[in-house]
Amino acid sequence: MDQHRIAIDPIASVDRDGPAHRHPPSNPAATVAVQADGIHKRFGSLEVLKGVSLTAREGDVVTLIGSSGSGKSTLLRCINMLEVPDEGRVTICGETIAMKTARGRTLPANSRQVDRIRTSLGMVFQSFNLWSHMTILENVIEAPVHVLGVPKGEAIDLARSLLDKVGILGKADCYPIQLSGGQQQRAAIARALAMQPKVMLFDEPTSALDPELVGEVLRVIRQLADEGRTMILVTHEMDFAREVSSKVVFLHQGRIEEEGAPDRVLTSPESDRVRQFLSRRLSAA
Amino acid sequence: MLDLLTTGLHGWGPQLLSGTAMTIAVALSSFLLGLAFGAAAGAAKLSDSLVLRGLAELYTTAVRGVPELLVIYLLFFGGSGMIMAVAGIFGYGGLIELNAFSIGVAAVGLISGAYSTEVIRGAVKSVPYGQIEAARACGMGRWRILRRVLVPQTLRFALPGLGNVWQLTLKDTALISVTALAEIMRVAHTAAGSTRQSFLFYSVAALLYLALTTVSTTAFQQAERYASRGVRRA
Ligand SMILES: Nc1ncnc2c1ncn2[C@@H]1O[C@H](COP(=O)(O)OP(=O)(O)OP(=O)(O)O)[C@@H](O)[C@H]1O
Ligand SMILES: [Mg+2]
Repeated sequence: MDQHRIAIDPIASVDRDGPAHRHPPSNPAATVAVQADGIHKRFGSLEVLKGVSLTAREGDVVTLIGSSGSGKSTLLRCINMLEVPDEGRVTICGETIAMKTARGRTLPANSRQVDRIRTSLGMVFQSFNLWSHMTILENVIEAPVHVLGVPKGEAIDLARSLLDKVGILGKADCYPIQLSGGQQQRAAIARALAMQPKVMLFDEPTSALDPELVGEVLRVIRQLADEGRTMILVTHEMDFAREVSSKVVFLHQGRIEEEGAPDRVLTSPESDRVRQFLSRRLSAA
Repeated sequence: MLDLLTTGLHGWGPQLLSGTAMTIAVALSSFLLGLAFGAAAGAAKLSDSLVLRGLAELYTTAVRGVPELLVIYLLFFGGSGMIMAVAGIFGYGGLIELNAFSIGVAAVGLISGAYSTEVIRGAVKSVPYGQIEAARACGMGRWRILRRVLVPQTLRFALPGLGNVWQLTLKDTALISVTALAEIMRVAHTAAGSTRQSFLFYSVAALLYLALTTVSTTAFQQAERYASRGVRRA
């Protein structure tokens, strides 16, 4: 998976840690990992998504940006059906999630299919959402053992190597509350990775963290991006978005206002709204 | 010790002991039955269905709003009739006699369940929803989430409240002495009447209840400590 990247953008692989670090652009030949088509979502009378389509190919890092309430989280959550779209289709690695209409409400036709597809979509939440009655290790092996049926010993080995990778192996036997926010979020990332998902979904993974803890989490996410993982990421960290994204999508009031390569969207956007958003971000920082 | 029991208490020691066993049996059965009622009514109160919510509300309001002794009387004098009526619907016309034990357990269980309902409902609501979502996002199905995430955490929030309900239930079993079931209260009453040592036997009864509640409170504290692992910093 790494080869195409080197072929397209040799600079990125040479200059990995320099200031000009950039994720390679999307490879149009790669297979589509996530495809959302014409997603509509209403909460009561409020239409939060008004027909949004999104494509993430293998190896893509798609970043969703936009002001508060623009529908970023809702779109991300529609991808794994934590929110059920009122209209539109979601296709994960070629498999379209079947929908049905019952008493005027749209629902997944087959909850088994949704559960199965969710195992290939690792989700990381703003508020970590680790299971507080389990140790960190138990959190990480829970779904592999009980959902995928991985033998416990194997799951523990994988969990330990993942905890090591995110730098908290020493906390394996602690309970979530004994960890700092940054450590909890890294544990949550390890928990998601333990399912060996095809795609990782992040919803503002650093927004609940004290500023000094943001870096340690971003470092882990950047490492995943460098490994060529397919990811969809909601974030307010613009510099980070510029570095790790293959594509930036700007949402405004439930529609895609602009999308494209990070340097273009974040440096010379066509839309005034994006420009305003970025300048507000800059002055706030 | 055995001597004291047999001679010191005018020969009522053995009955008091078996009365204590009966009290424990009634209390445990009623508490467990109440937990089942409470889980069902608690789930009903949290459901989307207006009908289920209404029924559960009716149950807790009615049982908590009526004196407990009256609930026991109603079941004792109406219980057989009600069951026979239900059996009649299914074509069974015979006489059904319920024994004092099952009626007592049903009555105290009904009362206990009304209090458990509130405890369980509150506990379920205290489980952070994000943890349920995290489980859903991992592909866990409803039952697995219930078993692995919701129940363990609900238990942790519910245990202190359930400890109180247990204590209430244990004491409420005294009320069913009116049905002549030989539990502590009934034995003490009978012994007091036949020996004219009322104060002595009621004091012994009080001590027995106190012993039971003390032991069970300690047990509940242990359980709470276990269930709260990961809640407080060690
Ligand atoms: N479960 C819900 N019920 C009702 N309204 C909701 C619900 N979830 C989201 N909304 C509303 O939908 C709109 C979009 O929400 P969403 O969380 O997708 O925005 P966002 O772009 O992620 O914003 P933020 O940057 O603040 O996280 C908001 O107005 C929000 O209040
Ligand atoms: Mg959001």
